[in-house]
Amino acid sequence: MDRAMVTVDNVTRSFALPKGGTYVALKDINLNIAEGEFISLIGHSGCGKSTLLNLMAGLDQANTGGILMDSRQVTDPGPDRMVVFQNYSLLPWQSVRQNIALAVNNVMRESSQVERRERVEQSIALVGLGHAADKLPAELSGGMKQRVAIARALAIRPRLLLLDEPFGALDALTRGNLQQQLMQICQQAGVTTVMVTHSVDEALLLSDRVVCLTNGPAAGIGQILKVTLPRPRERLEVMEHPDYYRLRGELINFLQQQRRLKQHRQELGTSVVSPSVPQPAPKAVAMAQRTVRIGYLPGLDIAPMAVALDRGFFSDRNIQVIPVVFHRWQQMEEQLRAGDLQLAITSATSPLALALGQHGQPSWPAITPMTVTRSGNAICLAQRFRDLNVHSLSDLAALLDDRGSRLRLAIGQQGSMQDLLLRHWLASGGIDPDQAVDFQILSPLAIQSALRNGEIDGFIAGRYRVAKAMDAGLGYVLATDLDIWSGHPEKVLTCHEAWAANNEALLLDVCGALIRGGQICENGGQRDRLIGLLSRPQWLGNDAALALQRQLNLGNGQATSNLLPLNRYHSDRAHVANSAEGAWILTQFSRWGWSPFPRNRLELLGQVYRNDFCSTALEQEGLAALSPDRQPIQLACGGPFDQDEPLSYLEALPFTHNTAIAVMPLPSGTAKRATTTTETPAS
Amino acid sequence: MTTLSSSLETVDRDLARDPDYLCFEGVGQVFQTKNGPFEALRDINLQVAKGEFICVVGHSGCGKSTLLNMVSGFLTPSSGRVTLHDQPIESPGPDRMVVFQNYSLLPWKSVEQNVALAVKAARSELTAQAQASVVDHHLEMVGLLEARHKRPGEISGGMRQRVAIARALAVQPEVLVLDEPFGALDAITKEELQEELLAIWREHKPTVLMITHDIDEALFLADRIVMMTNGPSATIGEIVDVPFARPRSYEAIQNDPHYGQLRNHALDFLYRRHAHQDD
Repeated sequence: MDRAMVTVDNVTRSFALPKGGTYVALKDINLNIAEGEFISLIGHSGCGKSTLLNLMAGLDQANTGGILMDSRQVTDPGPDRMVVFQNYSLLPWQSVRQNIALAVNNVMRESSQVERRERVEQSIALVGLGHAADKLPAELSGGMKQRVAIARALAIRPRLLLLDEPFGALDALTRGNLQQQLMQICQQAGVTTVMVTHSVDEALLLSDRVVCLTNGPAAGIGQILKVTLPRPRERLEVMEHPDYYRLRGELINFLQQQRRLKQHRQELGTSVVSPSVPQPAPKAVAMAQRTVRIGYLPGLDIAPMAVALDRGFFSDRNIQVIPVVFHRWQQMEEQLRAGDLQLAITSATSPLALALGQHGQPSWPAITPMTVTRSGNAICLAQRFRDLNVHSLSDLAALLDDRGSRLRLAIGQQGSMQDLLLRHWLASGGIDPDQAVDFQILSPLAIQSALRNGEIDGFIAGRYRVAKAMDAGLGYVLATDLDIWSGHPEKVLTCHEAWAANNEALLLDVCGALIRGGQICENGGQRDRLIGLLSRPQWLGNDAALALQRQLNLGNGQATSNLLPLNRYHSDRAHVANSAEGAWILTQFSRWGWSPFPRNRLELLGQVYRNDFCSTALEQEGLAALSPDRQPIQLACGGPFDQDEPLSYLEALPFTHNTAIAVMPLPSGTAKRATTTTETPAS
Repeated sequence: MTTLSSSLETVDRDLARDPDYLCFEGVGQVFQTKNGPFEALRDINLQVAKGEFICVVGHSGCGKSTLLNMVSGFLTPSSGRVTLHDQPIESPGPDRMVVFQNYSLLPWKSVEQNVALAVKAARSELTAQAQASVVDHHLEMVGLLEARHKRPGEISGGMRQRVAIARALAVQPEVLVLDEPFGALDAITKEELQEELLAIWREHKPTVLMITHDIDEALFLADRIVMMTNGPSATIGEIVDVPFARPRSYEAIQNDPHYGQLRNHALDFLYRRHAHQDD
């Protein structure tokens, strides 16, 4: 995109409520607008569209973040930004000409009388009102009044035109004609425009990009749709363009999904967890001991929980955490479904897989309030491949071509993040995982002996498992997540949606304790103490210490250092429950033929990714609330992933099995047991 | 595809039972004005089946309201005739209920009283208890049980329109006449009400004639869309069949490839072939 003329930088706007507390209208809005661009803001009532417009106009100030125009902060209204409201705001006792002249005289003080008059007449002509220049507003139709308002705004040559539902009060026909005129005027004047609208057709006709806002409170940008229709556009012709109804369908789907999310939240009896309503301090209130059972599998990913337990972060918050160890992912998820666990540290893909009911399971209303760890994976091959001179992915591809036999690779769980990373990496090197690989699902604990016994050729796992295999001289590292997706979400906290709704404060405290734990895990100075802790029998066991100390010796001759990072536990937005990453996961589910790509992905992601918990927990801990940015995700292999263009990404990937799209039934969080809402997909 | 064809059959069977239920035969309407006679409608011919859902679209001044007023019996045609069950419609009656855009609720009566009043008048054969349960049932269907004791001034526009719809349907009319009932509502409320309206329509299956400006609304609700030419002397320009299976989901029909075709066809009629003079 061109250099931004207007930058909305991390804007949050909240309002104090009369009865105490605050209402967060907009949360963490980031948007760049290029010079000459036409942007529409669309969303349901109460989504903060007009609030955002007022902030750009300088009529209102953000609580955090700010608006930049030409790299200068917008602090008050100015003649470079003009606003047109739905109700025209003309002076009723002044004629069309006088209304416009008033604005011109006010702004063009340096100019001569002649210049000003010229400007007024030009502006009147621009909107085709020469014949009505001496009429009073009351003598004009609604459409004509709005044309006067637009002419007045443009007369002073603003750089940014802000339109707040300019045609909302007009009938369909007048509206259509005015839209056409507005488009021509904006193009002629080359003015950058931001328009708030409810109308999908209006947005498509006029805009270069449509910014879709999610429901309030704490509304954010849900999707940005690029309107690729060629210009100049004509209102009726544009609808006959082959892409028109696809784009229109995207917007309608967005609005429908937001509408259902709103209903869903209402049925659940909870709104988004509001970050600014102060939670009572647990210590100050006498509370019953709160007990939660958290499932996990041994690995470096449990470090934040181990630390939080060790340092008493849970008991400080009046929570008794019972960690429940499992050896198979499948088993743990079964217990989570059965309600025997309240929470589990699962693969980053599990919340979506559970919600969709993948791999033959019924769908289950899983949510994730936070990401526990990022990165930390490596792909390890058996030692004998090194002897065959396999040092890279292309070596491996060549070997497979030569031998014509299938590679036997172990993964911990089908459809896990590790499975997706491994498949994605193989495919990027021209290896079709479903043709060239036999995947074996093994408990992490069984991997080493399988490798020793020659039952597998390699595996993907956390660096700790890899380090152990290397220590035993069984394997070497061919790739790490740095070669695939640096900073990918690895393990997330997962629970039932209704449980979260009924235990908000408890869940926030658990998240808070894990965040504190994660902070310590990343503290290099605490590394030895951390290794000591993880080597205790209840976590990784006595024999872990050596592997932990050397776990970054990748066995490929690279230098090692005790100060190299382990997994990412805290820094660089590690905790964010990022629905864009969820969108990538959905593309992979679809790519490998496990489910159609959900047409209602935003609804699904909005239901599953509850970053509101994460932000609130961070704020409770006195840390800055984090929100995902909207930058495309940079994967080391394969192109960048833009969450707004998942289908074109999917289609461009090698070995994509499935590009079917369907409205996926979503679990209802109100029922403890999953019941699917039935909606007939498009035939 | 099974759902599509099977529900199409059901609809067709229902409609086939009584295809000439409500008939306009050569209907014209001329008003006497101080500037002489004004022909609002000319030569309207339309057969509506029992239980059919018809939307009438056209620009303002196309005589849509005149058409509906002849069904409700507020107006009799200057020529031709409008019949229900082969009987000419000559006056308003409780078998035909009208809902207007402006709600027309009694402002000093509660939500419940507004509905009860209509039920009492139109369904006097019921016991007081039965009447009360009819009121309850219809308030429930539009989700207004909790607001039952509020007055119209204390509730939102969407809720007021819900009251008006509950009131009209509680009378269990054979014909429901809707004059742009959702024109003044925001998009979400409008869609919710459209869905509620369809749900109630499925229960009683009254014949519906509805005026709307909104093509998307017509495509979501109607079995057929009647498109009017511009007045004066407006008449039926074209009738479009809406083939989507019922029950309909807003998203599913939007994603149907026919949707764009039908919509563009209707828009073409309204904004090209019968474009209106503009200000």
